[in-house]
Amino acid sequence: MRFIRQYLITLLPACSLLFAGQAVGVDQPYPGPFVENDDLLMILIPHTPEQMTAFYEARGFPKAALQQIGKQCFVTAHIENKSQRIIWLETANWDLASNGKAIQRVDKQQWTAWWDKINLPDANRSTFGWTQLPTVRDLQPDEPVGGNIILAGNIKRFDLRARFMTGQDKRGGMLDIQFRNIKCPKEEAAP
Amino acid sequence: MKSMFSHYLPVCLLLLLSLPTLAETLPPGVIRIDGTSAPALKLNDLDGEPYDLTTTNGHWRFVHFWASWCGPCRKEMPSIERMIATLGDNELEIVLVNTSETEDDVFTFLGIVAPDLVPLMDSDGKVTEMWQPRGLPSTYLVDPDGNIQYQALGGREWEKPEYLEFLQGL
Repeated sequence: MRFIRQYLITLLPACSLLFAGQAVGVDQPYPGPFVENDDLLMILIPHTPEQMTAFYEARGFPKAALQQIGKQCFVTAHIENKSQRIIWLETANWDLASNGKAIQRVDKQQWTAWWDKINLPDANRSTFGWTQLPTVRDLQPDEPVGGNIILAGNIKRFDLRARFMTGQDKRGGMLDIQFRNIKCPKEEAAP
Repeated sequence: MKSMFSHYLPVCLLLLLSLPTLAETLPPGVIRIDGTSAPALKLNDLDGEPYDLTTTNGHWRFVHFWASWCGPCRKEMPSIERMIATLGDNELEIVLVNTSETEDDVFTFLGIVAPDLVPLMDSDGKVTEMWQPRGLPSTYLVDPDGNIQYQALGGREWEKPEYLEFLQGL
């Protein structure tokens, strides 16, 4: 028994593969699935298309932009470095999958092409850009970062495996975090 | 006497050597930057008055980028207002830059959370892009020669003693 306890005490902190908790009850500390440990906090908050179009409409986005936004699945990610070393956010090291198949984020180039097509004003482009999760960031100790991950609107559920290198030279070991079966919420049909 | 001197000399030398390190103790979330020259910052404020950062050379500047839609910015703004009130006549120049919002949005927001603050309006977001903040909110501390010496990562509780002492010590 003592051996098992010792084994668990030793093994659990060393285990770098971490799975998301589900934040569904009133006692849950965050408004979505999350992983929290001594190194980092990561929370995912999926939004309905209606929530996202309402957000950007309130910031003066034109109808053509709102139509494009409403077709996608927006998930706000919050990541916070709780450690005393650098944690590398590099979304190129992340895997997204739906129904067992790899999927891609709707990336900046796609949005830029859409915005060029509808001649979106600079102020709207700027606001949209600042609301997205950066693709690369050397998260310093105590530094938070947040923003949207955008997936195609036909995705119903997805898995995310996020890998973070650590340390100034990225040789401090890898944090491997998994979120499973995250729902892209849709509006309920009106009664 | 000589023996006592030689006994304490290494300790004194160690203390002297560690002074620069102690001086560099920074509040949480504040990092040192390489002293690069601050990008241009010429904007009109919410009242339509023109402002140019270079006209305030000779003072430390607290340059803060924010937007009302950003949760950490909303949380931080009242803290900045309390910080300004506490610092009083301190030489630090406070420069608040709103990123890409309309005058109506900014006026409505600040009227509720920090009515005494008058931000600069970066209406198309181009000035913010030039400064390349790590996100919103973001704060830079620009020295009297116009060089960026520190950056605050994300929102900070500026009215707390560790931040106030740091700012007063600039």
